[in-house]
Amino acid sequence: MIGSRSTRGRSLVLVAAAVLTASGLVACGSGSAGSGSSGGSGGGTLVIDSSFDLKTVDPGREYELTGQMLTKGMYETLLTFANNDLTKPVGDLASAYTLSSDAKTLTLTLAQGRVFSDGTPVTADDVVFSLQRLIGMKGNPSFLLDGVTVAKKDDSTVVLTSATPNAALPFILPNPALSVVNSKVVTANGGSTDEKDAAEKYLNGASAGSGPYVLKSLDVASQAVLTKNPKYNGPDKPVYDTVVVRNVKAATQVLNVQKGDSQVALDLSGDQVKSLNTGKVTVTSGPSAYTIFLLLNQGAAVSPATSNPQFVSAVKKAIDYAGLLGVAGTGSVQPAGIIPSLIAGTLPASDALKQDVAGAKSALAASGVAAQKPKLAYPSDLTLNGLSFQTLAEKLQSQLAAAGIAIDLAPAPVATELDNYRNGKEQMGLWYWGPDFPDPSNYLAFAPGGLIGKRANWPATAAPAINAVATQAGATADTAQRDALYQQFQQSLNASGPFIPLVQPPSNVVTATSVTGATYNPIWTVDVGTIGAK
Amino acid sequence: MSAPSEPSSADGLVAEKDRDTAAGRDRASHPLVRYVLRRTGASVLLVVGVTLVTFVLTNLVPGDTVAANLGQQAAADPTIVAAYRAHYGLDRPLPAQYLTYLANLVRGDLGESQQTHRSVVADLSAAVPATLEIAIGAIVLSILIGVGFGVVAAVRRGHLADSALRLVSVVGISVPTFWLAMVAFYVFSYQLDIAPGSGRLSPADTAPPTVTGLYTVDSLLAGQWATFADAVAHLMLPTLVLTLYTVGLLTRFTRSAVLEVLDQDYVRSARAKGLPGATVLLRYVLRAALVPILTVVGLAFGALLSGTVLVEQIFSWPGMGSYAYQAASHLDLPGVMGVGLVVGVIYVVINLIVDLLYGVIDPRVRVA
Repeated sequence: MIGSRSTRGRSLVLVAAAVLTASGLVACGSGSAGSGSSGGSGGGTLVIDSSFDLKTVDPGREYELTGQMLTKGMYETLLTFANNDLTKPVGDLASAYTLSSDAKTLTLTLAQGRVFSDGTPVTADDVVFSLQRLIGMKGNPSFLLDGVTVAKKDDSTVVLTSATPNAALPFILPNPALSVVNSKVVTANGGSTDEKDAAEKYLNGASAGSGPYVLKSLDVASQAVLTKNPKYNGPDKPVYDTVVVRNVKAATQVLNVQKGDSQVALDLSGDQVKSLNTGKVTVTSGPSAYTIFLLLNQGAAVSPATSNPQFVSAVKKAIDYAGLLGVAGTGSVQPAGIIPSLIAGTLPASDALKQDVAGAKSALAASGVAAQKPKLAYPSDLTLNGLSFQTLAEKLQSQLAAAGIAIDLAPAPVATELDNYRNGKEQMGLWYWGPDFPDPSNYLAFAPGGLIGKRANWPATAAPAINAVATQAGATADTAQRDALYQQFQQSLNASGPFIPLVQPPSNVVTATSVTGATYNPIWTVDVGTIGAK
Repeated sequence: MSAPSEPSSADGLVAEKDRDTAAGRDRASHPLVRYVLRRTGASVLLVVGVTLVTFVLTNLVPGDTVAANLGQQAAADPTIVAAYRAHYGLDRPLPAQYLTYLANLVRGDLGESQQTHRSVVADLSAAVPATLEIAIGAIVLSILIGVGFGVVAAVRRGHLADSALRLVSVVGISVPTFWLAMVAFYVFSYQLDIAPGSGRLSPADTAPPTVTGLYTVDSLLAGQWATFADAVAHLMLPTLVLTLYTVGLLTRFTRSAVLEVLDQDYVRSARAKGLPGATVLLRYVLRAALVPILTVVGLAFGALLSGTVLVEQIFSWPGMGSYAYQAASHLDLPGVMGVGLVVGVIYVVINLIVDLLYGVIDPRVRVA
């Protein structure tokens, strides 16, 4: 035998030493584990965990949720929503606004004395440059000001003119993509108001806004660090010296926020918040502004079944909407129409679609296509606020089967399936819509011939009555009248449209008990500038 | 008059040049140099092949990169779509796009990521060191522990130590890395609180000035001791999780390789001569067993790189795995191509190093 006792002993000692060294290093590491973040006492560091979809923080180019949140913290817009009341835009860099009776001209009076982070004043020229840059760059959010021209009337007045009636303009302006940038700084760093703009690189390394925080560093893959803007003279004074927004998956967010490594977690599902220790964290749950809906293609060539009105009616009656809420978790609600509950023009809950299995069976029998087995396409890798589309699709399949409606599931990665969805090739599709701006006109996409209407092969000529209501709603400026028209539009959709609103998934904002003011907003998720400490 | 050491005539200069040329020829004709040159040339062709395969496969995937990267409203606006396609060169035929990519590649330009809007080189310059930092740590620990365990298991064949270490090996190979990462994070970071949270540094800590991109090295170079300690602390858990798998692999292969050598006649002869056990083990057994072990180490390093994709997700580690996942999810062609290229180059380099080390370890390979 080779190994003498002493050799064996040395081997074991070496192995033990290796293990002990490793354990020791781990233990050693724990020494600095807690040193990174302060609690939520203010003045220190606020750590926000979020699952990133970040590409850029250049206002004018960003249009992802993480980008919206960060931009909101560093820049200001002409109008905003106070206390997350999405039904009433209020002044931010503008002190007042007037929309003309034909909804084509929006006149904004600028607030006086506001300054950028370099101390220079915010001027009407900066406002005009910022909005013209957004339009001219032809980036992701440029569509927000489609058909709109921007002009300076005088040093304190800016006028937005729309080619067509656009009562939604005051609701569009709070979008952080329409932030006002320091035109001198941006121009000096390659900025322009056309497609040649080259300021994005600069704006991903330094901010040029008037918001409560400024950009210290950005790594779009891992984290953004904001620091307090000492020149900020707006209404919401920043509480923290530093805000760190980290890219963390939901499963890790659960642990971080309970351990105290982070003070805010933004992506937890209904099931995950149920397991939280409420002695350590505060959970704010409610419905999000997303509408998850079912699309039934009206093209007979795509599917003889889903283009059959009786089949569509059978599907609407077969679904157990309350059962879907059980899958979506705490905070979810059934949208009564395609416009979610948080936005003006929403329908009362009593108008929501209801399950009627007997009615579904008779409609299916009357359709003459009961033997058909259409395919339900959906993004199987997509999870929205903790709700997996895979789980939801499976639940729908079983609910429809209970009413005698057989469907095949056709899962695909979101990047792949988007192409089929946008080209109107899906027989049945399971998708969601998040508001670009919290105005009912954003949901005219679901009108016949609208953006989503076309994806269902549902042209304007297919439902002229619904199209007429939609057109009238879009052109009406009076709040009460337009709300009534949008409700009529949705009632028609519920009755005979090819879309079935299913679920508003929950929005859960989890914070350390010491943190205040972190409330959910569908456009910018949370307003970093208003997060405070007890 | 020329100095004595200088050639005194043109003939002398020619003679010296001839000698230099001959020496150069000798060096170039050295088998090892020829081997390295041949392998390097083949590697370059291999890497070009990797770019072609990645390019073709990525374009074969059904789906439109515009749909994946623009919002719904923007993707419905022909002017925005046209501007986007023109910006990324997607309005040109595929062969032209590929040739442009190759031409840019020669200049060290891997294009602009559609996902991050930065140059892919800049993205990978940050992501690759992050991954290498855990992968190198894991492979070093794996070699130290795995080879040690393997030798002990072989030497103590059939004993309790052998059974215990084989069990460790089976567990290491069998346990899914992502599951282990989740459990390790939950137990050591959350429950026991002896390991830091996610990321490469604590939130309040600032990354050291970039020299190598490895936070441990850069913080040492900058003399930032607190940052160094923080970086090491954050490295430990993901490194140990990755280590467990490769330790299992190396333990198993080392045990087999050592057992094979232990029964050789020359080992018995060495023992019969009365050489100390440690000498026989190190000089006769382990050296002979190193060739297969080295092969497995090379394979294990490759496995580590793929294992980091899931581990990086759990530990919020901004490395190449996370970058690859995001790039693939968004049909970010330049990003996917960049990752494919880097992984291809790493594999090629590792294989080259392993092949060269064969020659160092085993003289028979050099002769061949």
